[in-house]
Amino acid sequence: MTRQERAAWMFTAPVLAIILLVLVLPTVLALALSVTDYSLYALADWSNLGFVGFGNFTDLARTPLFWRSLGNTALFALLGVPAAIGLSLATALLLDAKTVRWKPLWRVLLFAPYVTSVVATAVVWRFLLNTRFGLVNYALGWVGIGPVDWLGDPHASIPAILIFVTWKIFGYNMIVFTAALSAVPGDLMEAARLDGAGRWARFRHVTLPAIGPTLLLAAVMSVAGFLQIFAEPYVMTLGGPAQSTTTVLYFMYQEGFTWWNLGRASAVAFVLFVLILILTFVQARIGRRYEWL
Amino acid sequence: MLAGAEIACHKARMKCGRERSGGVTRRGVLAGAAATGLAACTTRRDPNALRLWAMSYEGDYSPHLMPAFTRATGIPVEVQSLPWTAAHEKLLTAHAGGALPDVMMLPNGWVGEFALVGAIAPVTDGALLADLFPATLATVEHRGVSHAVPWSVAPQVQFYRRDLLADAGYDAPPEDWAGWREMGRRLKRRRPDDYAFLMLLNWWDALFTFASQTGTSLLRERDTRGNFRNPAFREALAFYRSLFDEGLAPPIVSTEMQDPLAAFAQGYFTIYPSGPSLLLDLHRRRSEIAADRWGVARMPGPRGPGPVSGVSAALAVSRTSTRPDAAWALVRHMTSAATELRFQTLIGNLPARRSAWSDPQLTAPALAPFAAQMLDLSVDPNIVEWERVRIEVQLIAERVVRHLMTIDEGLATMDRRVDQLLAKRRALVQAGKLA
Amino acid sequence: MAVKVSRLRIGAILTNALVAVLTLVVTLPLAWMVTVSFMPRGESNAFPPPFWPSRWSLENYHELLARRLIDGAWFDYRIVPAIGNSLFVAAMSTLLGLLLTVPAGYAFAKLRFRGRERLLKLLIASLVVPGQVAMLPLFLIFKQLGLINSYAGVILPSLAGIFAVLFVRQATLAIPDEMIDAARLDGASEARIFRTIVLPLLTPVTVTLALFMFLGSWNDFLWPLIVLADQHLYTLPVAVAAIAREHAADGELMMASAVVTTMPVLLLFLALQRYYIGGLLGGSIKG
Repeated sequence: MTRQERAAWMFTAPVLAIILLVLVLPTVLALALSVTDYSLYALADWSNLGFVGFGNFTDLARTPLFWRSLGNTALFALLGVPAAIGLSLATALLLDAKTVRWKPLWRVLLFAPYVTSVVATAVVWRFLLNTRFGLVNYALGWVGIGPVDWLGDPHASIPAILIFVTWKIFGYNMIVFTAALSAVPGDLMEAARLDGAGRWARFRHVTLPAIGPTLLLAAVMSVAGFLQIFAEPYVMTLGGPAQSTTTVLYFMYQEGFTWWNLGRASAVAFVLFVLILILTFVQARIGRRYEWL
Repeated sequence: MLAGAEIACHKARMKCGRERSGGVTRRGVLAGAAATGLAACTTRRDPNALRLWAMSYEGDYSPHLMPAFTRATGIPVEVQSLPWTAAHEKLLTAHAGGALPDVMMLPNGWVGEFALVGAIAPVTDGALLADLFPATLATVEHRGVSHAVPWSVAPQVQFYRRDLLADAGYDAPPEDWAGWREMGRRLKRRRPDDYAFLMLLNWWDALFTFASQTGTSLLRERDTRGNFRNPAFREALAFYRSLFDEGLAPPIVSTEMQDPLAAFAQGYFTIYPSGPSLLLDLHRRRSEIAADRWGVARMPGPRGPGPVSGVSAALAVSRTSTRPDAAWALVRHMTSAATELRFQTLIGNLPARRSAWSDPQLTAPALAPFAAQMLDLSVDPNIVEWERVRIEVQLIAERVVRHLMTIDEGLATMDRRVDQLLAKRRALVQAGKLA
Repeated sequence: MAVKVSRLRIGAILTNALVAVLTLVVTLPLAWMVTVSFMPRGESNAFPPPFWPSRWSLENYHELLARRLIDGAWFDYRIVPAIGNSLFVAAMSTLLGLLLTVPAGYAFAKLRFRGRERLLKLLIASLVVPGQVAMLPLFLIFKQLGLINSYAGVILPSLAGIFAVLFVRQATLAIPDEMIDAARLDGASEARIFRTIVLPLLTPVTVTLALFMFLGSWNDFLWPLIVLADQHLYTLPVAVAAIAREHAADGELMMASAVVTTMPVLLLFLALQRYYIGGLLGGSIKG
């Protein structure tokens, strides 16, 4: 082993060891747990632990709430990703205009919600979304929309949480897109303008290809993020009303830590894992088709 | 399972409703006292202190019970209040991590579970188990050994609007199902926009009260299978659904009824099946609904009142407590008739000690139905999965009420789902590893 | 020409106004959080929702932060200790996190060792694994190690900074090899090269990373919620969530707790925003 190699291992071994302990080993163990019936009985006495093969997975397939939580999570991602990315991109484009003054100030203020604690701001939003005394319904009242029971109506609860989540996270991708937009070749843009290309055509044919890879990466990360929503329903709705905001992760938490069915909960975790993997793969394929990667 | 949390926090939610509408609350009490109270910088944990965990109101108010104990024994006590909605997982993870407090409150149905996993110690002092209602003792047993001391009892009763009932020609609600439903129809005819009953569809208590009134047992084969396809439970479920079908009860869940007490005061419904904690709310919000406008009665049975289930809270000592003697002394103090009576004045909890019931404090007419029901308590199956069984059965019952299933499909689904939940237990019982 | 200029100017004014309005809407919840926290009890429960307190009151903060003696019994939300806990946990995870990830990131960029490329690929791949998959078994492992209900149990998982390692590696790639090679020829040890040559160049990146880590740890919720049983060890988000579930309707008190939780990091972010946003922008934009 060379001197350099020794140093390299000295530098990397500690963090690799921790990654092994808190990420790799537990992930492998999760796979092992998901084929057992680890439950309260096993917690009481190890000899009660049994091997069930795919039993947990078939069991989940017959549990309506599991499907409902999958549906809710899909809805969160389906509505949330375009909303969050759209707002981020729109804001970044707006801030990119040459005529906008005090850009750093706006950037910092728009980014501020991102650094706050989910728990604390969820508490704030629970009041903003209050049916009778909330600012949101007050503002909607101005444009003639009647009071919405945001957190009590099973049809409004997902949009309500999405408004909150979008508010909180859009600043991050806004900054990321700002960075990407600054790399859009100015001369190409000028050439397009001289060719008489309209605003939309310039966006479609110059800006979009240039920021494509960034957009794709942001989409991948956002999908993964929206599939892992937990704290918002935990603090704002307890997964209700009528289980309309029970997400896969919330379901897993309940199954695992409330009822201590670690076998079933690990199976849920794995379904989530596989879903994220598939979606990442699909997105990467789409990206490759459009030559963004 | 979510509804699980929702039902478990039954009380917490009612508390929210109460606070939202600006009634006098613990906070109000505290705020008033805060002005005179001492503001000291916060100290770290006192190493000599016993640790006590209790939920919701019990947790909030238990500190008031401690000065007397500390004066008598010299042992300080630290109380940690857990929200109902997070209590079950907090206790389980604390047990798994060896971090349980010395003494903890456990509600109905959790004692067997925590005894099974070896979290709580058996009660060795026989005196602690004397002077109790017999049915409450059964709920704290695990393998024939008591593992907790009943602290308070909360049987379900019905609260009714005296004035509205009088308008319909009743002094008190009839005690049998047919008469009760007929009363509901009359109330509905007089006030078609309002309802006779409030039975929230995500709470299991009403349906399970009806079921236990029939005297049927809901599980069979040593509590390893569902027994929902039996004529008695079918009758209970059919009766339950008919109240919604006839428009006597609104088909809503708890989140759609943010402040039940305000709705009760406004006459949105006339009959409110609930527990003793409502007494405190009614007392605090007497400006909204005067004491002479409501009354209490036992829940109706198929042919007159019958047994309903009842223990709300018990106190247990952790196996890992380093000072078991002090911990049991605290349990003894908290479950004494005198302390239970003091708690009754503070938050309305009904004493589990029988001797407390001869105290003049408990002779108020509103408490008479509770006193009668105390002598007629049913016993829930004492199994680990019971909490979940109730929740899942209610989820299916909700679908039956909403006509997404017929009654017979619902019963079959309940049996199937419960058998699924009890699969592990069944295997262990068959292997002789579990009683 | 004049027409075009004025059209441009109107466009500019419109764009600026749009940005200002958007910023106002986005910052409104935070501003409202602060003003409500100073309202007297119950004032926010009104329609239309009041934005400005009728009188500025500290009673919510007093109730939230002070321990009070009532009828001989102590009452305490234990928020002050939670602030201390959060500070300690966040500071430790940041410090240890930097200690572990900065040298590793450098090694992955500049030191040649067998298996480097393969390890790097594995690290990138493992970014896709959601931490929640590992959570349940991790609890069992920590139970065996006796780390449940301890600060170490909270801090340890946050040290697995894959993202941080890759982040540092990316930044280190920009350092010219010649500088390092020259020092090697002079006979400097690898540790010395890292300390005296690489680390000073990585200072801005390290500050950015420290900020990321501190904020991440301060705001972390799910894992501390699971690992910490004892209220004395609660971090702020866990303590606030516990209050929020029981005191849902106490608007002003909850706002005060939200202010206490968010303000420290907001101020830290505002003070160091140049590094934070600069780190995200990757040096592509100045100012």
